[in-house]
Amino acid sequence: MRVLLLFLQKELKAIRTDSRVWPVYLVFPVLAIGLPTFLATLAPLVIRQAMAKQDAGMMQIAHLVQIMPDFAGVSPEEGMTRYLLRSVAVLFLLMPVALSSTSAAFSIVGEKQQRTLEPILATPITDRQFLLGKLLAAGAPTVAMTWATALVAITLVDITTHGRYAAALLPDRFWALGIGALAPLLATAVVLVTMRFSAKATDPQATVQATALAIIPGFLILIGLFGKVLTTSFTALWIACLVLAVIDLALFRSDVRTFRREEILTRWK
Amino acid sequence: MISAHGLSRSFDGRPAVEALTFHVPEGKLFALLGPNGAGKTTTVRMLLGLIGPTSGSAIVAGHVIGSDARASRAVRAACGLLTEAPGFYDRLSGWDNLFFFGRLYGMPDPLIRTRLTHYLRLMDLWDRRGEPVGGYSKGMKQRLAIIRALFHDPKVVFFDEPTSGLDPEAALAVRELILQLKSGGRTIVVCTHNLDEAERLADLVGILKGRLLACDTLERLRAGAGDGARVHVAVRAGAAQHARLLEGQPFAPHVEVTGETLRITVGDAAADVPRVVAALVRGGAEILEVRPETPSLESIYLHTLRGDH
Repeated sequence: MRVLLLFLQKELKAIRTDSRVWPVYLVFPVLAIGLPTFLATLAPLVIRQAMAKQDAGMMQIAHLVQIMPDFAGVSPEEGMTRYLLRSVAVLFLLMPVALSSTSAAFSIVGEKQQRTLEPILATPITDRQFLLGKLLAAGAPTVAMTWATALVAITLVDITTHGRYAAALLPDRFWALGIGALAPLLATAVVLVTMRFSAKATDPQATVQATALAIIPGFLILIGLFGKVLTTSFTALWIACLVLAVIDLALFRSDVRTFRREEILTRWK
Repeated sequence: MISAHGLSRSFDGRPAVEALTFHVPEGKLFALLGPNGAGKTTTVRMLLGLIGPTSGSAIVAGHVIGSDARASRAVRAACGLLTEAPGFYDRLSGWDNLFFFGRLYGMPDPLIRTRLTHYLRLMDLWDRRGEPVGGYSKGMKQRLAIIRALFHDPKVVFFDEPTSGLDPEAALAVRELILQLKSGGRTIVVCTHNLDEAERLADLVGILKGRLLACDTLERLRAGAGDGARVHVAVRAGAAQHARLLEGQPFAPHVEVTGETLRITVGDAAADVPRVVAALVRGGAEILEVRPETPSLESIYLHTLRGDH
């Protein structure tokens, strides 16, 4: 375990000392805190105006909320506010995916570029320890940041809406499971896929760009396909978590099996 | 400590090194010489268990390389490696970089601190230990990499160009450190292009160019170099006349004269030099100095490589 945490500690030190990456680590939290707080504050006004105008999108949400058992005992306005907040939780899934994919893209090709890979592989560390260490280093800081950001967002939303509704708006169980479990599982899958590219890559920047081009659109397509079911069915959210856990396990085993020390050392010039 | 038997490695069907057989006893320094692309790095990587041999075998620090993952880990734990390009995390300090590697070697933190304190002072990096490695000079990085190769106290150390990029004073300090390590009983393999350095440090010399063209002690390589030993005989006067005395003698097949010095090629130095001296004295030569010519490692190296063509 000590060896695994080493890579995480090193990554944290590197992030702390690299002021170039700070803006990236600030943009997402600001958005993820700002949007739900803004929504929670202004939702009643926006909903009232949209309903008055018979806005098609808002009418659709109103209809959806009316038939959802979760919102049976609340006013349509509160139900819609709660549903909109649940939908913006997607930002907290996107945050670890986007940030950890960048770290993961650098994870192995970066070691090659800095010429630190051979000294690392010359230590008694196993492939499994190395990859698990890299997984933790790429995934854990962004997941921790996601959780911290979510806590701030929840607090701000509840403070700004205090007294307006019978119960606090957040966290609802979808937020808890989505941000608590689905986000890290999703980040893990992205890191493991990206690390495999990173092991075979020769150019860190190209890997980061290729990863961004593949991961972000892929994520948006998945949300487009499954977003509705994941915000309306708690069972579906559980199933998504279980499926992702199985996928993560399979990806990690596959990464360990396909990690070729020899190839990495001898092909890289 | 290191025994290789028929160690070979091919890449995509092309042999990088073939049938390497050598033995480096414990506490000896083996200098592996050879031109670029001769297979020095591939050999070191095989001996460290980083890459497997295509055929052949080797035992390093008591472990058979490539036999299983556990043995490979044991070899890596028992060895230290100085790579040709000393790679570090530029944003981390020298201390943090080494601490990271110390933990990867499984050293407890208090021991890492003690060893780092010792080696950073020894390598004159103590005052800069807290600074990011990105700001270090090439020589400082090289010294830091040497510490990384040593501070887990390995039985076998592989140095790839250990004094590359160092100023003469730092290079001397590194050479002295290497000699200290050797006298401390460590087995050392040095890959180098610096023949002068190899000549100063090595107990055994291997000349590699895909195959091991020569592998022996320096003395034996010298004895076997060229077409006979040479001796310089300085006389008070009449060198040309004395040279004529030696003409046609079987123990002195070739004589050159430079000023008052005769450069004489002999077949077997131990048997022929006394005969040469006796013949010259009989001829009335007043001998001032008899000095055997020692072939340099450079001449042995070039002779060996050219002989391979």
